[in-house]
Amino acid sequence: MVDRPLDDAELVERAKRGDLRAWETIVRGYQGLAFRTAYLLSGSAADAEEAVQDGFVKAYRALGRFRRGSPLRPWLLRIVSNEARNRRRSAGRREALALRVAAADRPGDAVPSPEAALLGGETRARLLGAVNTLSEEHRLTIACRYFFELSEEETAAVLGVRRGTVKSRLARALARLRDELGEEDE
Amino acid sequence: MSSLERQLQRLGQELAYPREPDVASAVLARLDRRPFPWRLVAVAFAVLAVAVGAAFAVPQARTTILKWFHLRGVTIERVETLPSAAERSQAGGLGRPLSPDQAARVVGFQLALPPRTNPSRVYVLEGALASVVLRAEGRPLLLSEYRSGNVDLLKKSVGGKTVIEPVRVSGEPGLWLEGGPHTLTYFNQRGEFRQRTVKIRGNVLLWVDGELTLRLEGELTKAEALRIGRLIRSG
Repeated sequence: MVDRPLDDAELVERAKRGDLRAWETIVRGYQGLAFRTAYLLSGSAADAEEAVQDGFVKAYRALGRFRRGSPLRPWLLRIVSNEARNRRRSAGRREALALRVAAADRPGDAVPSPEAALLGGETRARLLGAVNTLSEEHRLTIACRYFFELSEEETAAVLGVRRGTVKSRLARALARLRDELGEEDE
Repeated sequence: MSSLERQLQRLGQELAYPREPDVASAVLARLDRRPFPWRLVAVAFAVLAVAVGAAFAVPQARTTILKWFHLRGVTIERVETLPSAAERSQAGGLGRPLSPDQAARVVGFQLALPPRTNPSRVYVLEGALASVVLRAEGRPLLLSEYRSGNVDLLKKSVGGKTVIEPVRVSGEPGLWLEGGPHTLTYFNQRGEFRQRTVKIRGNVLLWVDGELTLRLEGELTKAEALRIGRLIRSG
């Protein structure tokens, strides 16, 4: 019999029974996205790492309150995001994190995907420049939805707002980007 | 999806982020047995009172003998009445994750580590206590170190089932604490009394090495802890 990977629901049920290996699998599966999200929200790699670590500890201890059958990812992201926001607040960090593009040909970097490669240097720079001019709430919404490819529900969890707010922020942010880029609405 | 939205998705694949840390070991170390007290120790850095909630199990004569232990920077006493302590989750972190070099600059000393151990992260709290998560035979251990000087920074009050034994680690004095849940009380760096309590259940080896006082906690036997302790030398 071949072992199949356990899905989130099975891992959560095991973790609820005290199986730390199951929780480790969850941590390893989500820590990358959780870190990027926390970094975006906190503006500091050290705070992001601490937020992720504390978030996964708190989430494990809160598993009793996790509703069976609910999606795990938005729940985890909500907990980690709260940690990240609290750290930013307590650090009194006000300046927004400016997004930047990865340096080309950095040793160890993954080869860009063909789709990514399609974005020409000039287009990329203009687009990134336009995103960085957005207000923070618009930029975070764009980042969650398109950069991290989170669902609206997950974006709402990360930002601590309602799903309707995500929709309206997205619409406004996209309109502003089109203005900035001198594009027509599609 | 509009062309702009597709471009944004592509842009997302090219953005730069700091290297993603692997937090799994640190998370598991904190969950494995009990909340680790290191944060409190570090924040406080003055008095650590460890007491045990169970009924006294130590014969009177032994209690007397064990009444006081002293190790540089640490005093341990047995108490009859324990500070009230809820066994609550201590979700606080181990501190700020820093590179070993950054951590050494912040705490002002080079960490003593087992040979061939190159932790990518050292957690530092209050600029004083440095902690690393080690693994021994698949089990997470927490090693914390601080420069103890000549001032008693930690005080443990121990009762009940906790066994305390004086030991030697590479010829230096140390103490082995085994068994029983402990509660933790502390003073902060400015000597103000602050009391926060958590329960811990790991066994603890405390010892001095040069200017450092070290503490190793984990699910270890005394022999295992001593063997690991002997390998850990300051640079």
